[in-house]
Amino acid sequence: MPSAKSPARRVSTYKIVQFILGILFAGYLLWRLYVVFIGSPAYGPDTWARFLIAGVVLGSVYALIAIGYTLVYGILRMINFAHGDIMMVGAFGGYFVFEAFKAIPAPTLADPKMTFLDANPILSVVAAFIVGASVAALGGFFLEKIAYRPLRGAPRLVPLISAIGASIFLENAAQLLFGTQRRDYSNPAILTRGNGWNLPIGGTTVILPYTGVLTVVVSVLLMAGLYMLVMRTRLGRSMRAVAENKQVAALMGIDVDAVISRTFIISGALAGAGGVMWGIHLGLVYYYVGFLPGIKAFTAAVLGGIGSVPGAMLGGLFLGLVESLGPGILGMSYQLADVIAFGILVLVLIFRPTGIVGEVLTEEKV
Amino acid sequence: MKRQLRLALSAGVTFGIVTIFLFLIGFTGTSGDLLADLFGNKNAAPFLGLTPQMVNMLIFLALVGLWAGSYGSRKSKGQTDDPWAPALIGGFTAGLVHGILVGLLALLVGTLNLNHVPINMYLAALLPAAIKMFLLGFSPIQGAIFHLVLFTLTGFLGGLLSRGIGRGSWRARSMASWKNNLDEFNQRPLIKRVRGNPATRYVVYGVLLLLVFLVPLVAGQYWNYTIGTVCIYVLLGLGLNIVVGLAGLLDLGYVAFFAIGAYTMALLTAPAPQHLMWSFWIALPIGVVLAALTGLLLGAPVLRLRGDYLAIVTLGFGEIIRLLSTSDAMTSFSGGPKGVPSIAGPTLFGKPFNSGADFVYLIFLAAILIIFVTNRLQNSRVGRAWEAMREDETVSRAMGINTLTQKLMAFAIGAAFAGLGGALFASRNQFTGPEDFTFMVSVNVVAVVIVGGMGNIPGVIAGALVLKGLPEVLRELQDYRVLVFGALLVVMMLWRPAGIIPSSRRKMDVEKDNGVPGPPKEGGEK
Repeated sequence: MPSAKSPARRVSTYKIVQFILGILFAGYLLWRLYVVFIGSPAYGPDTWARFLIAGVVLGSVYALIAIGYTLVYGILRMINFAHGDIMMVGAFGGYFVFEAFKAIPAPTLADPKMTFLDANPILSVVAAFIVGASVAALGGFFLEKIAYRPLRGAPRLVPLISAIGASIFLENAAQLLFGTQRRDYSNPAILTRGNGWNLPIGGTTVILPYTGVLTVVVSVLLMAGLYMLVMRTRLGRSMRAVAENKQVAALMGIDVDAVISRTFIISGALAGAGGVMWGIHLGLVYYYVGFLPGIKAFTAAVLGGIGSVPGAMLGGLFLGLVESLGPGILGMSYQLADVIAFGILVLVLIFRPTGIVGEVLTEEKV
Repeated sequence: MKRQLRLALSAGVTFGIVTIFLFLIGFTGTSGDLLADLFGNKNAAPFLGLTPQMVNMLIFLALVGLWAGSYGSRKSKGQTDDPWAPALIGGFTAGLVHGILVGLLALLVGTLNLNHVPINMYLAALLPAAIKMFLLGFSPIQGAIFHLVLFTLTGFLGGLLSRGIGRGSWRARSMASWKNNLDEFNQRPLIKRVRGNPATRYVVYGVLLLLVFLVPLVAGQYWNYTIGTVCIYVLLGLGLNIVVGLAGLLDLGYVAFFAIGAYTMALLTAPAPQHLMWSFWIALPIGVVLAALTGLLLGAPVLRLRGDYLAIVTLGFGEIIRLLSTSDAMTSFSGGPKGVPSIAGPTLFGKPFNSGADFVYLIFLAAILIIFVTNRLQNSRVGRAWEAMREDETVSRAMGINTLTQKLMAFAIGAAFAGLGGALFASRNQFTGPEDFTFMVSVNVVAVVIVGGMGNIPGVIAGALVLKGLPEVLRELQDYRVLVFGALLVVMMLWRPAGIIPSSRRKMDVEKDNGVPGPPKEGGEK
């Protein structure tokens, strides 16, 4: 940054260009909003309601994964590139729980073909979440231990490259282990995708899917739990202390390595739960399932201000909404939803790398 | 003693998990085929009822077992004396644990297979044939016991060997004697005279060049294709080397520039979506310049970011380019998901390039040009500015380097090289489509640069040869290539953050900097 102390406050051309571009973009957005909602509406309110539901559900999954990025970034100042793949590991954990339960017969008088999965949906879902989160937490623990811990204090590119390597390794290990095909997540019968409450909106009915509601509820519960953990417990306090300053935290008697390790376990568990939700709601799991949500959740974390937990939650929700409403508002095809997400990533990083609610970081941190 | 047991236990568990993982991804079976290629005994007669593949797999497993044993019997921290008994017990324990784990798996999988459970529905590599091979055709119990005995024995042997031969220091000693011999060799007057003579360098280069120009004539279609691919990766690697290795900017969207070069070549010369059908020689510089311009345009706002943020922005940009090229919105412009077929090749003096060898020569020429340019750049004022910037941006700015301009230049030159590579790639394949430009291409190039040695030309060439050439030679490894890439990136960062052939400056840094872990200091049996 050029010195800000020059007598006449100099505004760099970069800032001016940035400002003009910002105005232009905002103007375009307002115009599109006008066209879409008032000028010549392409969709009725029922369609927007569907988009909204999809966006909130997707956003709550992104938020969970984004928290993992933010926690790790806050403490280690590194992007845990393999976080999306930890989510994939969790999704597979839940998948195998459902498959195992489906294989156990639990015949009743009414339905002799009943499986354990359909007979005990609550137990199955809870088990899937617990197993998925634990497997992913384990993955996070070993990831940190093997690929990151030996690199503490190395130049910043070194752990990032190691993280990319770990991500590729996990993806391909999953591909070799489980094959390349996309697998259907077999939910309990009551949670069949597409089932839900019918809401009368705009003359037609809009389905509020059970899986979506489950996802949002679990996600909100987990986020509330995490917030309590970070703010109210001893571990949370040590995490915040380590994020503030590792040396001083160590002097205060905090075992920094243990705290970092636990941070990875927590973020892994959240990502694992996110993976199970992804499977239950969207229904497909395969080796590459974590890559895009991982990148997008990172976008969400940056959007909210990386390092801030509430920021990650907000950013996740925002990104989910942008992804589902954005193509409709901007009048683009749905194929380009990911382009919008990545476009936002690039724009936010260029124009406001500290995020919407982020702390003001010094250049050294950015 | 207790410590040794704990070490051995953890070694046994680690190796047990590793062996199980190798089996589950089907590598144990592949190792058999791989060694069969190496020994040339693929069609040998069965030995004691075991096919050569099984024998080879056993050799591989025995090697793993030996390693486990020697790892389990290594000295624990602070242990100075070198008693034999704990070492042997350590090796034995590690082997036993290793064997129990693998044996249990063999038992489980074998039993499931006997009962016709379709395991490969969930674990893709566990086809009935693969399970049968792992059990060596025995029943599950026999197979499990066999593996238990195999790993226990080899573990014990491993302990014996690693402690027996020179008691842990044989490696250091053999390295030292090798170095002595080398020094002695270098001291001989004849060698000294040849080395001191500047003409030697040119003779060596000349011989290399001659070899390089002879190879495409003798190599067949397939090998020429492979050589071409490796050389294109050398081009890409050298371009990214400027960005990552010299200027220290991690670019994960490098494939975007490659794609721009390739698509420019495709759209300008192909008949399909644009009906332009220009000449190759006009399209080539346009592709390079367009890629460089894109680099400038993207770089101008993005290069203010440091380190990992830059990596993610470039990754996002690369994905945007790929998504756009697959989308329906661009189909009429650039062919969409189907890509652009029948791209014209170059013609020279009215003679079209159609044999593989012609293209290899062209790519060689481009590679040599790029090597030359990189070499000159690296030793120029600009190159030194880049390296200064990589080491410390703030200090280099204080030294009067305009970091933004320098970064932009690095970015644009790197992009131009990628554009050249892309244009050649599209023209040689006569086809280009979105599948050529996945994120994995960027990762491959990053891996080439990092594994080879950041900021170092011979390193990048070595990296391209190792990462793109070796998998072609060892075709059985094809499936595991990307897995090994990932593991290599991690391992390189842990043990040799400066690459196979580190650049001399970089090597100095790494040795000096306490933060970067150097090679493991003790217990080097790894």
